[in-house]
Amino acid sequence: MTTDREHDTGSSSGGSPGGSGTRRRRGGGGRTEAVAGSTSRTDGGSADVSGSAAEGSTDTRLGRVGGALADTGVRPLDVVTYGLYGIAMLFFAFPVLWIVSASVRPEGALLSFPFRLLPRAVSVTAYQRVFREGMVTWLFNSTLITVVGVGSIIAVSVPAAYAFSRFRFRGRRQLLGAVLLFQMISSIVIIVPLYSVMTSLGLVDTRAGLVLLYVGIQTPFSIWLLKGYFDTVPEELDYAARIDGCNRLQTLRHVLLRPVLPGIAVVAIFNTVFLWSEFVIAYTVIGSERSLYTISIGIYEFQSQFGNDWRAIAAASVVGMLPLVVVFISLQRYFVKGLIKGSLKGQ
Amino acid sequence: MATAGEDSPIGFGVERVRDVAGRVIDSPVPWLLPTLAVLALFQLYPLVEAVQLSLTNEVLTTADTEFVGLQNYTDLFTSIGFRQMVVVTTVFAVSSIVLHTVAGLILALAIDYGVRRGLRAHLTTRVSVLLAWIVPGIIIGLIWKVMLIESQLGAVNYLLGTVGIGPVPFRSDPTLALVSTIVAGTWRGTAFAMIMIYGGLQRIPQRLYEAARVDGAGRWARFRHVTIPQLKPVLFVTLVLVSIYALNTFDLIFALTDGGPGQATEVFALFMYRKAFTDYALGEAAAVAVVLLGVNLLLTGIYLHVFDIGDQL
Repeated sequence: MTTDREHDTGSSSGGSPGGSGTRRRRGGGGRTEAVAGSTSRTDGGSADVSGSAAEGSTDTRLGRVGGALADTGVRPLDVVTYGLYGIAMLFFAFPVLWIVSASVRPEGALLSFPFRLLPRAVSVTAYQRVFREGMVTWLFNSTLITVVGVGSIIAVSVPAAYAFSRFRFRGRRQLLGAVLLFQMISSIVIIVPLYSVMTSLGLVDTRAGLVLLYVGIQTPFSIWLLKGYFDTVPEELDYAARIDGCNRLQTLRHVLLRPVLPGIAVVAIFNTVFLWSEFVIAYTVIGSERSLYTISIGIYEFQSQFGNDWRAIAAASVVGMLPLVVVFISLQRYFVKGLIKGSLKGQ
Repeated sequence: MATAGEDSPIGFGVERVRDVAGRVIDSPVPWLLPTLAVLALFQLYPLVEAVQLSLTNEVLTTADTEFVGLQNYTDLFTSIGFRQMVVVTTVFAVSSIVLHTVAGLILALAIDYGVRRGLRAHLTTRVSVLLAWIVPGIIIGLIWKVMLIESQLGAVNYLLGTVGIGPVPFRSDPTLALVSTIVAGTWRGTAFAMIMIYGGLQRIPQRLYEAARVDGAGRWARFRHVTIPQLKPVLFVTLVLVSIYALNTFDLIFALTDGGPGQATEVFALFMYRKAFTDYALGEAAAVAVVLLGVNLLLTGIYLHVFDIGDQL
């Protein structure tokens, strides 16, 4: 059903190129609004029942069916469900809240009795310490690597996904199979020869080398996901554009880019999470150069050095995950969509 | 209309260049070239290098390296450390697979039910679960380290202390350390299974439930005879993906227990990492990597077979 919907979006935004401008603008604008709206809805909680944009229609339909059949009273199963929600929220949210709470506790107050999640007094000394120990450098490196890396991944994988979707050439199936294989094989397998490989490529201890490595590792998943989006756009659109005199690049830019944009967003979000969080490969490639530390390496090294300063470790963790939490909360629906569509290996 | 942006006056030469360029990009080669280059350099080359390395006795600290054939593999399979690691990895992987999938299934059903019934808090629940999944692995390890510290500084021991239990040595007792890594892994991994299964639930045609209802099937019967059979393919794919994921876990355990105490939480990836970067035995480590690659390929084969991806290629 996801496919059908995207199919529709594709043909409505691209299929009436000469048609009314208002209609097209509404199509494009709706998508942006959905993104912007998700922030408040996530915070607000109750109003929105739909998961991702694509699930929306099913959810509303089910909602209506459920509403028609359901009695208004509280059923025993509702109580069980609420119980499950409570347990889930406690288990999944508590550790994060505890870390936040621990990071702002004044010295010694971790031991306070009785147990309280909200500390009585707030102290930012732990944060000051983390920033003194190089947090700014780590944040800068991670941001740079993530932004350049995600951009490069998209720049490499969009043309490739286009080619796999639109060209019929010999070896296409085999090549696509190889791409899928690389997607499924965990990148952890290559860390042993990685240092010597990067040395022989002259890329050891460089951010550029790490970015290129990430492009190599993340491109297969991105191609696979984007190809799915390209496949939902009818090829008749390409033919029409070609008759109008567009070459392939122009067709991609003016006709295909718009319907594929949600796919690019999903790819961008997933790669942002991966690149920001990645540890073992970065540690192997740039771990010997302090000034190149990313957030994961920085925090890890910090805790091996100051292993007993738990408040500072908590503060570092909070700073390290905050950017991702913000990205996630504001773009939650794309995550869900990408997980369902991408069936990625789970990293 | 699609060329609307290109309406500016175009010189003859520019047009010629564009014409040639237009013909070049009618071939798939320029579109695929960057991808092929990065895949060859940063995926294939390291993999080939790993296989080659696994057939040598290379040690990082000594210069003389010789070809030793399959020596590393025979040594590996007969070593106690490897067997111990396989046991730990199996326990970790099997428990993770079961816990992720069961918790994911229960949560997916609960959220699906909540959405249909219009219950409150299902979105907050889902956001909480997913939040755990996007936290960087190293930070997850550290979060749980703080949670489980073996003094009253740790939240878990503190809470246990208030009811007169503990302090429990979560990270220094071998069994409890493994349990801790499994719990932390489940904390992160449940979201993935939940979303996969939730997606599967959305794809079950509603008319099947209506038909079952007409036939007089109760809630349990509908779950047993509609939901579960319809969910089977998704469940299986989830199982395979979670297995791949669990078998390659590294950063979380690296930060939480670093494989210890002793070898108690040393899973596949950590075993390999220690061989390479603690013992500097690159040849042996590469052999471990190749075995891990084999496990990955095996699971991928199963995944492809079940997913029947052939017609998507």
